[in-house]
Amino acid sequence: MSHPSELISAYLDGELHGKELATLTKHLSSCGRCAAELEDMQRVRSAVRSLPVLEVPGGLVPEADPVVVPLRQNRGFLVGAAAAIVAVVIAVAAALAPDPGSVSIDELNSRFGARASLDPAFGPAKIVEPAVFGE
Amino acid sequence: MRRVLVVLVAVMAMPIAPALATELDELLERTRSAEYSAEQFISCETPDGVQDAFVEISQSGGDIRIASNANDVEVSAGAGLWTLSRPDGAVTDAAVDSARTLEDELYDVDDGEQVIFLGRSAQSYQLERDGILRAELVIDDQTGALVQAVTFTGDGDVYCTRRFVSIDASAPVGTDKQPVESVAVDQVAESMLPAEVEGFVRLDHYEDADGFSFAYYSDGFFSFALFETPSMVELPGANEVEFESGVYRRAFDAGQASYVWPTDDGGMALIGDLPPDLHESVLAAMPEPQGDGFLRRWWRALFG
Repeated sequence: MSHPSELISAYLDGELHGKELATLTKHLSSCGRCAAELEDMQRVRSAVRSLPVLEVPGGLVPEADPVVVPLRQNRGFLVGAAAAIVAVVIAVAAALAPDPGSVSIDELNSRFGARASLDPAFGPAKIVEPAVFGE
Repeated sequence: MRRVLVVLVAVMAMPIAPALATELDELLERTRSAEYSAEQFISCETPDGVQDAFVEISQSGGDIRIASNANDVEVSAGAGLWTLSRPDGAVTDAAVDSARTLEDELYDVDDGEQVIFLGRSAQSYQLERDGILRAELVIDDQTGALVQAVTFTGDGDVYCTRRFVSIDASAPVGTDKQPVESVAVDQVAESMLPAEVEGFVRLDHYEDADGFSFAYYSDGFFSFALFETPSMVELPGANEVEFESGVYRRAFDAGQASYVWPTDDGGMALIGDLPPDLHESVLAAMPEPQGDGFLRRWWRALFG
């Protein structure tokens, strides 16, 4: 068996089981180089884990701080501004929109009169004074 | 011999029996074939006050020409064509080329009574619907002209009186119609409006290229049209009136009532000569008024 560095790392990570674990254990007992490598890797890992956790000093990422809070403030402002613009557009459109109440009663009278002239009862009993209401 | 004389005197004392005319259609058919020129006074007692008018009429060949003494506006109507001519030459007109007639007789007509009207022999008839007197018609014996028509509300009050104040049967003025390009209205296959309301039957439903549609209702004598329009209808001089079904704008003319109201799709209008006691119940059967608020007007203006 050659020197199995990958198996040593897996062993340290607790990922070896069964036949692989038995093979590596047997190899370590007869290979001083791999045994020394195992000791070195264990020492490094212990050293890394013993290092203190440091706080990230303020200003290390200067672009992060000023963006987060102002972004929320700007979003509210933008929503409000958009709503105001929509309201103004509605008001202007309403003011400029043509009044839809433009159908003249004369137009309807002419149709009623045309149809009524086909009615058997059409005659002096149904006469209405001719008039123009739209003027 | 004495008995014979008594019977003879009794027979001679009886009024001359008029020709029996118990069908309204027969009466109306006779009046439509009359030819004459006349002056007619119209007076209507409406819920909004008295409406009067004085018009000149000439009838010939089933067509009628009506001229107002008040405004020089003239109407020529007949055979589905209606033309209003103004003093400045402007014309408003419409044409209907088909119509259905009422199949059932809703009116009972009495046998008539001989009367003298404008110094002429005439017959007076009473029209009842559901046992209620709705109209009295006086028909000139010589010409067949309908020289007087009185209509009544349900409680017996006079609604409108139309009576000739003069008639000239010797020289009827022709109703030569000027050819005009009319707004043609066509029948629609199906209608969502009520088929019958208060005895008024929906005979036709029309629509035209201007986006107007209307249904024509008749009970055999009175009639009205119900319009659906793409926008609210202007009704100058209208008063606001509130019924259980909603708020309407209403105007009475001499012989005709008009109602207008807003709907979700635009506007509606009812125009007709039916007596006022029937207005509320007829309107209640139609699409109800909707608020014509600021946003509704704006939305329709932008999106139709």
